[in-house]
Amino acid sequence: MGSLHFSNLDVGFRLPPVIQEVTQEVIDRNAVASLDYNPVHTDVEWCQRAQVFGTEKTVGHGMFTMSLMASVVSREWYSEGAWIQRMDSKFTKPVEVGRTVRCEGTVIELHPRGPGQSFVVVKLDASDSEGDTVAVGSAHVRIPD
Amino acid sequence: MVMTTSTAQRLQQYFSTAKQRGFETNFRLGAENYEVWDEVEIGATFNGQNTFEVTEEDLLAFNLGVAEQHPLFVDREYASKHSPTGTVLDHPLFPVLICFYCIGTGPGNWIRSPGARNPGQTLENFERYRVGEVISLRETAWDKWIRRDKHYLTYKHDFFNQDGVQKGSWRCTLILPPTREDLLAFAKA
Repeated sequence: MGSLHFSNLDVGFRLPPVIQEVTQEVIDRNAVASLDYNPVHTDVEWCQRAQVFGTEKTVGHGMFTMSLMASVVSREWYSEGAWIQRMDSKFTKPVEVGRTVRCEGTVIELHPRGPGQSFVVVKLDASDSEGDTVAVGSAHVRIPD
Repeated sequence: MVMTTSTAQRLQQYFSTAKQRGFETNFRLGAENYEVWDEVEIGATFNGQNTFEVTEEDLLAFNLGVAEQHPLFVDREYASKHSPTGTVLDHPLFPVLICFYCIGTGPGNWIRSPGARNPGQTLENFERYRVGEVISLRETAWDKWIRRDKHYLTYKHDFFNQDGVQKGSWRCTLILPPTREDLLAFAKA
């Protein structure tokens, strides 16, 4: 374990962003990894006909965006002993294939609970390469004492 | 309603686990048997069709598929020395994989619905998922509602290991085609 301690964190602390281009290969790999083969993600020709989101293009999984939001926390803090115990997300705009998603996290709440139980709430925001918000959410992250 | 060969072949090139190789990739297939919004009875409970034995190849494949980069998640050798579990770690959204696998084509198969949209999710993890655990899924039809002409459905998915210890919970919500006719219109598009 390293330098991450609950007592060292303050509201307003910002985590490094996670940035990911959402190509069809990235979508396909995520579909295989999660076993979520909804055609809106993987079937290019079907999407042209069905246009579930009003676009002819495939879209990335909402859960992939949520995964990237989680990675804002996990990439920076999991090696320090942190652990996400709860996540909430709301998806506000579909991520069309070819877009780039940028996820950011900021500590907004401190919950001192005693040994091994203290956690922070990280506000999570995801935007696309057009600058539009695609998802908002939060993570309750247990932090070492 | 046949998925194009190119789509299936495109997906197959990324298979790396036994579970991936044994899972149907065409969610339009069998859609006539999926549960639909207007037929769901709130309060009903179900067991998942399958159980999920956690292997390190499952953990690693999921972590790579969500573009995780930290060696605790994607480097077996590094994780064997530095991870608290001695294997690559479970990503916070690993229960998503467990859920799709356990549901299969059984109860809760509305999660595969063509035409579904994802409005947002709530996921809780109580314990890490560890290699060797056998996870079972308990599903509860939690709520359904209409808002702005959209039909929302939530199931509560509870995950337990072989000893009955609850590992986590996912309140999974989708906006669904409300009727079978609507669902099939998407499936056959």
